[in-house]
Amino acid sequence: MIRRLFMVLCGSGVVALAACDWMPGRPERPTVDAHAPTMAFEPLWNTHCAGCHGANGRDGAARPLNDPLYLSLADDHWLHMITTHGVDGTLMPAMGTAAGGPLTPAQITVLIEGMHDHWGGAALQTAPPLLGELGAADAGATVFASHCAACHGDDGTGGHGAGSVVDTSFLALTSDQALRIAVICGRIDLGMPPFDGRRGLPPLTDQQVSDVVAWLAAHRVAHPGAPYPAVTSQGAQP
Amino acid sequence: MIRATTRSVYDWFEARLGLEKTLGPSLTHAVPQSAKWWYVFGSMTMLLFMVQVMTGICLSMVYVPSADEAYASLEYLTYDQQMGWFLRSLHVWGSHLMIAMMSIHMLQVFLFGAYKFPRELTWIVGVLLFVCTLGMGFTGQVLRWDQDAYWGMGVGMAMAGRVPVIGPEIVHLVLGGPIIGGESLSRFFALHVFIIPGTLIALLGVHLLLVVKCGINERPTPGVLVDKATYRETYDREVHRRGMPFFPNAAGRDMIACGLTLTVLFVCAMMFGPAGPNGRPDPMLIDTAPRPDFWFQSIFAVLALLPPYMETFLILGFPLLAGAVLILLPFLSGDGEKHWKRRPMAVLFVSVLLVSLGSLTWLAYQSPWSPVMDAWSALPTPAQYVKGRSPLALQGAIVVQNKQCRNCHALDGQGGRRGPALDGVASRLNSDQIIRQVIQGGGNMPAYGQHLTPAETTAVTAFLMTLHDQWEHEPATGRRTPRD
Amino acid sequence: MTVHLPQRDAPDLKQLGPGPDPQPSRRGVLFWAGAALNGVAAVAIGIPVVGYLLAPFASSGRKQSWVALGHVDEFPEGHTTLGEYVNPFTTPWDGYTANTPCWVKRDAGDAFTVFAINCTHLGCPVRWFPESSLFMCPCHGGVYYADGSRAAGPPPRGLYTYETRIRKGVLEVKAGRLPTLQQTP
Repeated sequence: MIRRLFMVLCGSGVVALAACDWMPGRPERPTVDAHAPTMAFEPLWNTHCAGCHGANGRDGAARPLNDPLYLSLADDHWLHMITTHGVDGTLMPAMGTAAGGPLTPAQITVLIEGMHDHWGGAALQTAPPLLGELGAADAGATVFASHCAACHGDDGTGGHGAGSVVDTSFLALTSDQALRIAVICGRIDLGMPPFDGRRGLPPLTDQQVSDVVAWLAAHRVAHPGAPYPAVTSQGAQP
Repeated sequence: MIRATTRSVYDWFEARLGLEKTLGPSLTHAVPQSAKWWYVFGSMTMLLFMVQVMTGICLSMVYVPSADEAYASLEYLTYDQQMGWFLRSLHVWGSHLMIAMMSIHMLQVFLFGAYKFPRELTWIVGVLLFVCTLGMGFTGQVLRWDQDAYWGMGVGMAMAGRVPVIGPEIVHLVLGGPIIGGESLSRFFALHVFIIPGTLIALLGVHLLLVVKCGINERPTPGVLVDKATYRETYDREVHRRGMPFFPNAAGRDMIACGLTLTVLFVCAMMFGPAGPNGRPDPMLIDTAPRPDFWFQSIFAVLALLPPYMETFLILGFPLLAGAVLILLPFLSGDGEKHWKRRPMAVLFVSVLLVSLGSLTWLAYQSPWSPVMDAWSALPTPAQYVKGRSPLALQGAIVVQNKQCRNCHALDGQGGRRGPALDGVASRLNSDQIIRQVIQGGGNMPAYGQHLTPAETTAVTAFLMTLHDQWEHEPATGRRTPRD
Repeated sequence: MTVHLPQRDAPDLKQLGPGPDPQPSRRGVLFWAGAALNGVAAVAIGIPVVGYLLAPFASSGRKQSWVALGHVDEFPEGHTTLGEYVNPFTTPWDGYTANTPCWVKRDAGDAFTVFAINCTHLGCPVRWFPESSLFMCPCHGGVYYADGSRAAGPPPRGLYTYETRIRKGVLEVKAGRLPTLQQTP
């Protein structure tokens, strides 16, 4: 009798303990080491890049990277280098641990591969190379008049479609190289077209791009922005 | 047969121990009939304390109080040891419930005037018990040796270090050395497991003795005043005439309440599980935002909201002041009216206390004063603030991200809330005011004059000047007109 | 007016009465001698025990001492980077806590400033943001400028700094004390 009771008690005890595994409060051992650096593209992008380049690589304040043209033209080593060390003359900060940033080289590789996987496309041979030298400013003026003035105004200070590209403060915050990329790739998320020969727009040659960038760069001044000119809402509107 | 055997065994022990003779009268001492459900909170608190002792002993069989191994043993307890997570869960929920019950018990005693003559000492010992319990809470949180614990200990020491003259020595003594290390955790272990519980048990004994000696407070009646000359006599007479024995009459209610408490504890522990451990206590992992446990959140909030000049005074002075007021309370109002309906100041005090503690705790969970450390790189500029902006304004939007403005300023509800949201800032400030604010700072904002180039300032101003309110106040007519 | 507190179950001492002791003075002497003996023994035991408890103060050599942060070249000029040192006073069971982080600011050449990680408000770890040249604290929003001076928020002063020196190309700091408001430069 007592022995039977004992067996029943033990049995139900074991069952009860097994049932405890189903309790909702039981914590699960984290599957990933919380202290190991993330090696997945999306969390890395959403923590370190989305702020400026946009949630889905578009519609951010800075250059969209969700841009097949840009990704097909950009060299991976160069992307790795500018992500690690930032870009001098622009607001792109150094993100690599080598330069005091938060991202390891492996993480930066994950980011670059992830951009290609998510947003990349077929390579385009018609577009001018992404990197290049400055050309002749005089020739650039002609290119600007034919390709850019329609939106940015005859003198570049802004027209119907877009704002000023010769503002000295704007030029101070961007590099010649960044200007060149903007001319080639446009800002597809904000309506500025790429001049790669598609969309019925006259394509720009390598030389034309170099010239127009030289023309823009010629508007740089020694002390941009000083001494804090009054900025009106009109001036800032496109 | 069994009955007779039990009886003789009982008699054998009773003849030697004499428990019935010594404890019997205490157990069956008469208590007022009016002591109804309001009087169960003390028993519930004590029961929870006993649960804490027992679960604590169980946890100590596995937990390693060593700075090196504590975290690993906690992980083992939580994920590997059979039912280890449940014991940890019981212990943490037991502590939450114990502090809650003790607070309710104190509030009830205060509102029912039970601290008045002749139960002054019962109240004072109770206040000391409360202090000990909070001490258990803080030290227990440190024994959960994770990032919060490591930096929480640092916060505690930063406060202690502000004590005039001997502050550094106190830090030194509590840490067991000049810096947080192996001996610090061992000291907190000794505090949590021996020193404070020992004190608690001793005080609890005195508290219970006093409850028996001075009797349980009768349910107050409005207009019946406590007179030190006659109270004892009246109480004894009434209790003997119309009272009931504590055991079994009043104890029944206590047992029901305790059973309910245990059930709630079980459900909480089962449903919500243990707390943490949150990240190994590696000081080199500085991407952390330490937060205290629930009961200290209100203090966390106060420390963020106080102006610096009164902070040291309040960190050190307020606990002393509060303790002094609580201890002196029965001497300040030791007699007179007991019923809360005739003690408006008491009711007002309790209401203010509860409202302020509640709102501070709520605020602490919002913590609008904490910068959102990764907002600048994680929260995109809202797309509607990017569309249609000039190249200069777009550069300004990048400056807002790049210079960590978003860590303190929200855009479209996203970002820090330390500073005002920047949506509609162009409707509040003109460009000169924005430039001055950015460069000079002020109003708890750093001055960015040294860190922004004139071009950056121009760009950020150009961007901010595009952020108009949807309903902008037109100064010329004073009428409100919608903008697109 | 006297307040009478009746003792409910106090034993009646009078019934016990004085024991048969013909020499009360001898009893007094024994009692006081016993008390004195206990007192002396308690002091003899107590002093070492108190000494044990106060050991953190007594240990010789527990002054701050110089510890290495790393070779000077590890810290790029014009940057502020996270440094790490091992506490000068460790026990074998310190684990992670033997390490302490700090912010190393190298201006140019051998001009170093080393800041404690702890916010001067309540000791939380401050983080460096090179883009805006600010230190920010995640707890209550203390903010400091690049030179460590207070910029905003509740901190009562600028960041704590360590004494530094360079020996054979190695940057060293004088460390070994949790920085708190009253004892740190």
